[in-house]
Amino acid sequence: MFNLIANMKISRKLVAVFLATSIIAMGVNLFIYVNLNHALDKINQVFSSNISLNVLSDNLNQIHQGLTGYLETKGTDDLELYYSSTQSMNMLMNDLNQYVTDNSVKLSERDIRNMIETYLKTADEAIQAKRGRNIDEYTAKYNECTKIKDYLNTYIYSVNNEQFRTNSNNYNALVNSLRYTEVMSMLIFAAASLMNVLLIIILTNTITRPLTRLSAKAEEISQGTPENVEPLEVISEDEVGKVTRAFNEMLASIKDYIARIRTQLITQSEMKEKNLLMETHLKDAQLKYLQSQINPHFLFNTLNAGAQLAMMEGADRTVEYIRNMADFFRYNVKKNSENVKLSEEIELVDSYVYILNVRYAGEILFEKEIDESLLNVMVPSMIIQPLVENSIKYGIKDLEPGEGKITLSVYREGDNCCIRVSDNGIGTDEDIIEKIMSNEKKPSETRGVGITNVMERLDLHYNNKEVFEIKSKKNEGTQVTIKIPMEAGNV
Amino acid sequence: MKISKNNVAVAFLAGIVLVLFIATVAGLFLYRKMIENLGEDREESFNEYSRLYAYIAEDPDSKLSIRIYKEISEYAVKNGCYVEMTGQNLSTRYSKADRINIAISSKVDGIILEGDESKETAALIEKATKNGIPVVTVLTDCESSSRKSFVGLNNYSLGTEYGEELAAIGEDKMMYPLSVLILLDRDDGNADDIIHSAIQESVTGRRIVLSTGVVDNSTPFSSEEDVMNILDSLDKIPDVIICLNDRTSESVYQCIVDKNLVGKTTILGYYDSETILKAINKGSVYATFAIQADVVAMQCVNALNEYNDTGFVSEYFGSSYVLINRENVSSYDSEGGTEDV
Repeated sequence: MFNLIANMKISRKLVAVFLATSIIAMGVNLFIYVNLNHALDKINQVFSSNISLNVLSDNLNQIHQGLTGYLETKGTDDLELYYSSTQSMNMLMNDLNQYVTDNSVKLSERDIRNMIETYLKTADEAIQAKRGRNIDEYTAKYNECTKIKDYLNTYIYSVNNEQFRTNSNNYNALVNSLRYTEVMSMLIFAAASLMNVLLIIILTNTITRPLTRLSAKAEEISQGTPENVEPLEVISEDEVGKVTRAFNEMLASIKDYIARIRTQLITQSEMKEKNLLMETHLKDAQLKYLQSQINPHFLFNTLNAGAQLAMMEGADRTVEYIRNMADFFRYNVKKNSENVKLSEEIELVDSYVYILNVRYAGEILFEKEIDESLLNVMVPSMIIQPLVENSIKYGIKDLEPGEGKITLSVYREGDNCCIRVSDNGIGTDEDIIEKIMSNEKKPSETRGVGITNVMERLDLHYNNKEVFEIKSKKNEGTQVTIKIPMEAGNV
Repeated sequence: MKISKNNVAVAFLAGIVLVLFIATVAGLFLYRKMIENLGEDREESFNEYSRLYAYIAEDPDSKLSIRIYKEISEYAVKNGCYVEMTGQNLSTRYSKADRINIAISSKVDGIILEGDESKETAALIEKATKNGIPVVTVLTDCESSSRKSFVGLNNYSLGTEYGEELAAIGEDKMMYPLSVLILLDRDDGNADDIIHSAIQESVTGRRIVLSTGVVDNSTPFSSEEDVMNILDSLDKIPDVIICLNDRTSESVYQCIVDKNLVGKTTILGYYDSETILKAINKGSVYATFAIQADVVAMQCVNALNEYNDTGFVSEYFGSSYVLINRENVSSYDSEGGTEDV
């Protein structure tokens, strides 16, 4: 039953609600109307017995009138009246009770019926006697008839009274019952109305409940977590049922879509990670490659042998020279890939400059302006020497001997330890600086392997922070500054 | 399936609707039945009987007649016939002759008649017989008629008993000569004469002086007036007053009370009406003779039934009186109960 209602179209449901309630109301109305009519009919019938008794009495009087007239004048009209009245009396008599009962009215009816029979019989005898012109007999019979008529009228009157009393009681009972009828009707109406209201509530509920559930679900989805929302159960097969089904499909496709996007994102980030890793490996390889370019092992060993030879030969300056060279290469071997103290880097530069000065017979003027407090700052190895080498190679190489001057400054600037290598050489072109800075210049095209290598290593080491700076003016020299951030662990 | 709150609510509402529906339908049917029952008082159930007898009393309003009628109808109903008191509950009061006529013309199956010796009554009994209606006389006979049977009381023995009571009163009071007034019923034919002569016979040789007065009981109010007149006409209140009629008994008792004569005279009553029994209890009435109404009733109905069934019936059924005095009055139930002396 519920399923049948649930699967109906909404319009039909509404029609069903109105039809059901209307039919109930109409049915109750009709029933009460019919019964009320019935009751009114009964009330109308209440006094019918009185009426029929009165008819009986009138009829009897007519018979007697006819009899009297006939006996007096032998008039045919009277006889006709007598016979016609007798005929209708015979019919009326049939309605009267003829059995002996203990009901007083019924018993009186029986008496009346029998007395009428006696009366009619006697009257007939009187008429016969009249025809036989037997005056004594018909007078006696007539007197008898008059007497019986008198009794009959008394009986009819009394029964009438009795019945009127009973009928009045009945009438009162009926009128009272009409009042009960009123109360009963009200009660039945109230019950039916209540039933109607409940029916409307139930049927409306079957319409609105799925809508309410649907809207609740929609709100749940709008909270932002559609993947946690369970699909709605389809209760009815009406329009709302169809919407619910569509809603469930939409929910499913939203969930599917979200899942796909999520997978896509994961794949993308995995790929990004891979790319980064590959890049790192590449950089690492490049670094290794660059460092291997300056692999001094062999030279270092050779130089040690040379120094020992020079010592044996007593050539002190040669020993000094070779030792410096050995220091220079040892440093390279030792600190190839580690961080070193700034002081060690400066020592390396000292050795390098000494070697070059021996080579170029003291042409390079090297000056240091060092903030001693920064000597312990940890820096990547081999970052200053390539700069000095560059300055010599591209800055002061073409100057007159003794004019070239290289200054190494180490100073503090804010949280940075600044290492500046400046020369008074020919300077560098702007576009070359730009190319160096943008990392486009191949090592061979620039001021050598050194500066590019240093830059890339610094980039890797300090995560692309701008720690490297080149300033240059034509014919006034180049100034390269490395700003080492003094973070924990650097000092 | 998950049962949600909503489903429970819907089921609950549906339950209420069902209950209401049943209640409404039941109410409608109850209502229908109520409407159907309207006016059924008129069609109330009644029993049918094979025979109808008419009871015609001398005075339908006298307590004795009412009592006898009650007994007769009760006994008749038990025996499959019904007795109506002809002429009762009518707007007009009919004479006994008229009532007999009515009974004849309404074709009853038998008439129980309080007879008298008048010719008119005899003629009416004759008429009834001609019409095939048997007549049984009761209490008083109509000897000269063609009545089928007489259910009577032994008036002679009643007179004798009155005489014995008079002797007892005389001995009790030691008041001689004892003056006695017998109040006879005007319409009662020779019944009262028999009683009178029996009394006279039984007191012969004693110093008891009898006198009589006649009371007209034919109309409802005449009895009391007559009694008053008779008592007023006397120079001296008699020592004993004998009443031969229930209404006369009550009238005399009332007169004695009104005239403040209680204790100065003694009443011997007739019939066991409540008033008389109370008076006996108080001592205002010395004793009364009651009819065994149930026996009389039984004899009447049986006589008619017997005649209707066989065509023959015994001509006389007799029954005796019961004496009620102060000694046995407490154990006597006025309406119907009997206790032989």
